[in-house]
Amino acid sequence: MKVLLWKDSRKNIETILGNGKLDYGVDFYSTTPDITEGYISPDGNSFVVRVKISKISKYSAQKGLISKKKSDLKGIISIDSAEEINPKPTSDFKLSTRTKVVKTHAIAEVIEIEAQHVKGLIESIPKEVNSIIKEAEKLGFTLPLSVAEKVASLTGSITPSQTKELLKKIKSDMETKAIDPYEAVGIIAAQSIGEPGTQMTMRTFHFAGVREMNVTLGLPRLIEIVDARRIPSTPTMTIHLRAGLEKDQSAVSTVIKELENTTLLDVAEIITDVGEQTLTVVPDSARMKERLVAFEDILSALDSVKQVNLKPDMEKHTVEIKPQQESYKKLYQVQEQLKILTIKGVPGIKRAIARAEKDSGEYVLYTQGSNLKEVLQIENIDPYRTYTNDIVEIANVLGIEAAREAVFLEAERTLEEQGLEVDKRHLMLVADMMSFTGSIRAVGRQGISGRKSSVLARAAFEITTKHLLRAGLMGEVDLLSGVAENIIVGQPITLGTGSVNLVYHGPKKE
Amino acid sequence: MTTGISKRIQRIQFSLLSPEEIRKMSQVKVITADTYNDDGYPIERGLMDLHMGVIEPGLKCATCGGKVDECPGHFGHIELAMPVVHVGFIKEIKTFLDASCRACGRIKLTDEQLVLYKDKVTANDLSSFDPEVIGLICKKITDEATQRLVCPHCGLQQKKVILDKPTTFREEGIKVTPKEIRERLEKIPDDDLIFWGMNKEVARPEWMVLTVLPVPPINVRPSITLDTGERSEDDLTHKLVDIIRISQRLRESRDNGSPQLIIEDLWDLLQFHVTTYFDNQTAGIPPARHRSGRALKTLVQRLKGKDGRFRSNLSGKRVNFSARTVISPEPFLSINEVGVPEKAARELTLPVSVTPYNIEHVREVIARGPEPRDEFGKYIAGVNYIIRPDGRRIKITSQNAEENSKKVEQGWVVERQLSEGDIALFNRQPSLHRMSMMAHTVRVLGGQTFRFNLAVCTPYNADFDGDEMNLHIIQKEEARAEARIIMKVSEQIMSPRFGGPIIGGIHDHITAMFLLTHNNPLFTESQALHILSYVDTSELPEPQIVGETRFFKGRDIFSSILPEGLNMRFRSKLCKAAKDGVCEYENDPRDTDVTIVNGVMETGTIDEEAIGPFSGQIIDKIFRKFGSSAAAAFVDRMTRLAVGVISVLGFTTGIRDYDIPENAVKRIEEISVEAVEKIDKLIGNYREGLLESLPGRSTEETLEILILGITGEVRDESGKIASSYLGLNIPSVIMARSGARAKMLNISEVAGMVGQQSVRGGRINRGYYRRTLPHFLMDDIGASARGFVKSSYKSGLNPLEYFFHSIGGREGLVDIAVRTSRSGYMQRRLINAFEDLKVDESRKVRDTIGSIIQFTYGEDGVDPTRSEKGETVDVDYLMLDLEKEGSK
Repeated sequence: MKVLLWKDSRKNIETILGNGKLDYGVDFYSTTPDITEGYISPDGNSFVVRVKISKISKYSAQKGLISKKKSDLKGIISIDSAEEINPKPTSDFKLSTRTKVVKTHAIAEVIEIEAQHVKGLIESIPKEVNSIIKEAEKLGFTLPLSVAEKVASLTGSITPSQTKELLKKIKSDMETKAIDPYEAVGIIAAQSIGEPGTQMTMRTFHFAGVREMNVTLGLPRLIEIVDARRIPSTPTMTIHLRAGLEKDQSAVSTVIKELENTTLLDVAEIITDVGEQTLTVVPDSARMKERLVAFEDILSALDSVKQVNLKPDMEKHTVEIKPQQESYKKLYQVQEQLKILTIKGVPGIKRAIARAEKDSGEYVLYTQGSNLKEVLQIENIDPYRTYTNDIVEIANVLGIEAAREAVFLEAERTLEEQGLEVDKRHLMLVADMMSFTGSIRAVGRQGISGRKSSVLARAAFEITTKHLLRAGLMGEVDLLSGVAENIIVGQPITLGTGSVNLVYHGPKKE
Repeated sequence: MTTGISKRIQRIQFSLLSPEEIRKMSQVKVITADTYNDDGYPIERGLMDLHMGVIEPGLKCATCGGKVDECPGHFGHIELAMPVVHVGFIKEIKTFLDASCRACGRIKLTDEQLVLYKDKVTANDLSSFDPEVIGLICKKITDEATQRLVCPHCGLQQKKVILDKPTTFREEGIKVTPKEIRERLEKIPDDDLIFWGMNKEVARPEWMVLTVLPVPPINVRPSITLDTGERSEDDLTHKLVDIIRISQRLRESRDNGSPQLIIEDLWDLLQFHVTTYFDNQTAGIPPARHRSGRALKTLVQRLKGKDGRFRSNLSGKRVNFSARTVISPEPFLSINEVGVPEKAARELTLPVSVTPYNIEHVREVIARGPEPRDEFGKYIAGVNYIIRPDGRRIKITSQNAEENSKKVEQGWVVERQLSEGDIALFNRQPSLHRMSMMAHTVRVLGGQTFRFNLAVCTPYNADFDGDEMNLHIIQKEEARAEARIIMKVSEQIMSPRFGGPIIGGIHDHITAMFLLTHNNPLFTESQALHILSYVDTSELPEPQIVGETRFFKGRDIFSSILPEGLNMRFRSKLCKAAKDGVCEYENDPRDTDVTIVNGVMETGTIDEEAIGPFSGQIIDKIFRKFGSSAAAAFVDRMTRLAVGVISVLGFTTGIRDYDIPENAVKRIEEISVEAVEKIDKLIGNYREGLLESLPGRSTEETLEILILGITGEVRDESGKIASSYLGLNIPSVIMARSGARAKMLNISEVAGMVGQQSVRGGRINRGYYRRTLPHFLMDDIGASARGFVKSSYKSGLNPLEYFFHSIGGREGLVDIAVRTSRSGYMQRRLINAFEDLKVDESRKVRDTIGSIIQFTYGEDGVDPTRSEKGETVDVDYLMLDLEKEGSK
C-alpha cells in the first residue's frame, strides 16, 4: 500500500488534528494513484499523525482553505480524518529514495510485517513443571524454572506430599541463600569479570569445529562485548535450516549460494573495448550454474548501473554496455563499478560454510560477516535459530531484550571457552546494566560511566576538566549518593554496612 | 575525641564565580609581581602575602591568625587590566555569540519557538536527568538559532563569528576583543540562558570572560627552600607572576596612550598567560615552560589523569597505621592469622579510650614502657603515645612511663602497640577482587617479614619470590567489628565469582594428601604419631595389626581431620582425568570414588579435586554444612597434616623422573621423522599445485593448517609414548596427576618431545628475507625451518631449536605484558560503571538515582557466594535430606 508522507510544523499538525475533515493546501503535488493514507511528521524522522485521504488534487484558490504555507502551494489534500499515533520511524516505511529523513514529502510503501504467533513462555513450559511453579507460588515464593524442571523430573519417584515438603525445603534454602540487602552487587560483578581477565589469552583462535574460520575470542572479545562496538572484529552468524531440511545437502548448498555475496566478476568476464568505448559482459555459464545465477539476474543487477546504455544479446547471453558520456575516464569508472557489482547474495556475508553436527548430523551454517536483517528473509532457514555475534545488530533488528540476551550469551561463551568459571548472575547484571535504558550502552566514558549522575564521579573517571566546567555552567548538583563521590569528600560510602544507620541508646539510667 | 560521623555533606552545588564573588572572597588584592623581599619576608600585596595563608613555621596568618597547620588558606585576587576569555569555556562562548543577536542580545528564536522549546528544556530536571541529554537538547536549539541570519526580535542582520583557535574570535575577518565579547554577553537576558543550558541562578555568560582572577591560597602553591637556601616557587606562582607583570604593563600602556598595536600585543600576551595558567596543554598554544625547559604544571594538569588530584589524591588516599614488607610462608599459622614482625608491631598502634573499666589495665600497659617483654623475653604490647583530652600527645619513653601511667585518666586515649589477637587488614596489589584484602588476626613473630598460611596464597595471588604486602591496623571499634564479621579469611573462603572455595591446599599440600591416601598406605606407629603430632587431635585412629606390629592406614589418618557427620561421594581428579575410567588403584575397584561416611574416609584418593582451591569439594561441603569456622579449621589442619606427611615420607624430584627406555626414545624419534616426511610430502604437493585447499582458504593457509595438525599429533603421540612409561611411582607424575603442579603436557615435553613452536597461532615465519634464519635455504618451509622442535628438554635442544623456542617464549612474555594493561583498564571501566549498584530491601537492583536494573537480583535473588556453584539450590541434596528425615 502506498502512502503519502510529509513534514509539517507542529502548529499545523495541531490544526489538522483539531479540524477532523478538511481540505489542506500543501506545497507539493503528487499524481500517484490510490493514496488513501498519509502520515505527518514534525521533524521528518518520526511520524506522529495518520490521516485518511479521500483525494489529492491540484491547487486552486479556494476560500477559507487551511494550508501548510502562505504561498507556493501546489496541491490540496482532502483529509477525511486524522488521528494521533505512536511515533513511527522512517524505517517503518519503504521509501523510494534511500534517505532516512523526509525533507518535505515522499511517497512510500508501508512495510507490512507478517506476525506469526510464537508460543508464549508460559505455554512452552510443560504442564508438570508449571504446576510445580504454581504450587510454589501457593507457598509464597517464585521458583526458578530450572529448579522447577528438576523437581518435576523427580515427580515420578516421590509422592505429592513429599513434593510439597521438598518445595518447603527449597523455599527455606533459597531464603538462607538470598542476597543481602545493600550488597554491592555491581562491584562484585565487575570484579568477578575483571579478575579472570588477567588469565585470558590475547590471541584469536580458530573456530571450534570450523577451522576455516577465525573468530576473536579471549580478552579482546570480552573487551569488544563490554565496549558494545558497532561492528565486532569478526562478525559471524550461525544459521540452521528449517525443520525438515536440516540434513538436506542440496538445500544447504542452495542456502549457501543465496547467502554468499556473488559479484559480477565471480560469474562473468568483462571485456573492455577502448576503441568502441564499450564494455562487454560475457557470463560463464558453468560458473553461473554453480552459483545459481540466471542471465536475468545479471541483467537486473546491471540495471542499477547509471548513465549507461545496455544492449543485451539474448541469444549469445552477453551484454554490451556503453556509457552515455564518451570519455576514457567514464569508461574506466564504469568498468570499476562493474567489477564490484553485486548480483546476488546478502551484502556483508563474505563466506558461508556448512558443517554437519557430529551427533545429530544436522547441517549448521557458519558465515563470515553478518547481516541479520537480510538473512532472516531467506527462505529455508530457521529464523528462530539464526544467530549473530553482532550485538548492536541484534539490538537494531530484534530489539533490546534480544540484545540483552546476546550480551549475556556472548560474554558467557567467551569466558567458558577460556575455561573460566564466572557465575551467570554477574554476566546478567552486566547485560542488564548495558541495556536497561532501552539501547545498548558501552561500559566506559561514552556509555554508562559518562552518564553517571554525579559530577565528581565523572570527573574522577576520565575527561576531568570537561565535566567540572560544564557542571559550573549548568549549575549541576552532586547529591553524593554514589561511591566515588563519597570517597572523594571523605565520607562513608552508601553501600553495604554504610547504607544503614544504627544508633544504640544505652540502658536508661536508674 | 570524635566518635562516629556526626555530619554528612548532603549536596554539592557547582556554579561559576562572579567577579563580585571573587573580590568578596579575596583577602588581598595582589598588585606586586613578586614574592619575598631580600630578608626572605613575604612582600605585602605580593603573591606570598600573609593574608593568603602561611607555609613557614613561626609566622602567623594575617587573616585568621592561624599557624602553619591551622590556617586553611585564603584567596586573593588580581584585577586584570583588560578582560580575557577563559579557555575552558571557549566553545560555550562561541555558541553564545552564535545563537544570540549581536545587537539586542536575545536568542535568535521566534517567540513561538521560545514557548515551545521552553517546555522542552524545563521538562528535564537537572537533579534527576542526565546532563548529557540536556546538553544535546540545548545544542539542537542553539544550532537552530545560529542558523537564523536575521534577529527575529530587533530585525538586525547577523554576522558570522569564527573561532580562530585557540582563543581569538573574528567577525568577517575583524577581531572581536574580549571586551566586546563581554559586552555582548552582558546583553543576553537571564531568561534566555536556559536555552544554552546555563542555569541563571548560578552563572552569567559574561563571567566566562575574566576581569578578575582569583589567586589561590599559598598552601595550594607552596614554595620550597632548597638545600642551598635558594627559594623555588611553585609553577602556579610563576604563572601568576607573569600575569601580574603583563597586566601591569598593559594598564600602563593603555593609560599613557601607547599605540594600539602595542596594546593589542600586550593584550594577547595577557591572554596567553591566563590561558596557560588554566591549561598548559591547550591545542595551538606552545606550553609555557620553566627556565629549565620543563613544561609548567598548571591548574588543569594538576587535576587531570592518573597522577592528577582526582585519581591520585581524592579517589585514593594515603593512610597511617599501615606497614609493608616482604612476605614469606608459615605453615603453622592458621589461615585466619598473619605473622607480623616485632619491629612493625612496635610501630603500629591502635587507640584505646580510657574508661573506668579498663583504666587499671591501661595504666599497667603504659607502665611497661615502649619496648616491654615478658619474663621469657617474648614480645608484649607497650604504649607509644598517650593523648590528653585537649589533643596534646605525650611520647612514652622508658624514663617517663611509670610517671605517665599515673597521669592517665578517664577520657584520655592511649596508643597501644599491636598485640596478639588484634584484627588487621592484609592486602596484596593488584587488588583485583575483594579477596585481595582480608582481615587476619595478628601474631607477633620474630624476623622481618609478614607470614601467613600457604592456603591463602590463591586469593591474594601471592608467591614468595620477593612479593610485598600491606597491613592496615583498624582504628575504630565499628570497623573492627565489621572486619571480624565479614572480612575474616574464613568468611571469604567462598568466592563470589563462582560460588566455590577459593582457598585450599596447594602444591605440597596436594602431593602430601595424595601420598597419604592413594592406595591407602600403611604407616608405622611412630610415623603415624609424627604425622598426627602436627594436628591438634587427641586420639589415634583404629590401628591395623599386621603380625606383631601396629600400623595405621593413610585414609584413617586423613579421617582424623574430617568433622563428624560429613558424608560425601565424588570422583577424584586422578580418576576424572583418566580416560575410559581406568585409574591406578591396585587395592580395590571401589576406590574410583572418594567416599566419606560420617567423617570417615573409606575409599578414594584425596587430590586437587578434594582440597584444592577452586574445586575443593570437601572444603565446599564443610563450609556449607558446618560453617565458615569449621571450614577454616579443616584447612588449617589439612595444611598442617600435609607438612607432617611430607616430612615423614619425603618427596623429591629430579631429572631421572623423566628416564624412559631406549626403545621409547627410538619410537619417538621415528614418529618425528615420519611427521617430517609427511610435512615434506604436503609441501611437495603444495609446490606441484596438487594440494586441495579447504573451503574459504588459500592453499598457503591450508598447508599451514595441515602442518600444524600434523605437528600437534606428533607431540600428543610422543607424549603418550613417554607417559606410558611414566607411572604413578614417579614424583613428577604424582605432581601432575594429582594437580599439585604442572600438567602431563609439561612432562611429555621433558621426556618426549617439545613440539612445534608458534607465534601468533601459526608456525614461526619471521626473521630474514624469505627465511627464518640464514641457516636455511630461502623459501624452505619445511618442519625444522619453521620452528618444529624434535628434541625433548631432557635430550637438549640444538641451537636452532633453542632459538625458535626462545621466540615462542618471548611471545608469551609480550602477551602477558600487553594483557595485564588491557585487562586492567577493562576492569577499571567495569568497576567505574558498576560501583554504585546495590540491592535494596526487596532484592531489586538499583542505581544511585533509583532506576531499577533488575527486579530480582540474578533472576532468583540468590547470592552467588552462597549458591551451589552457581545453581540456585541443590535439589538432589535436599531430597536426600528429606528422605533421611522420612526414614527417621
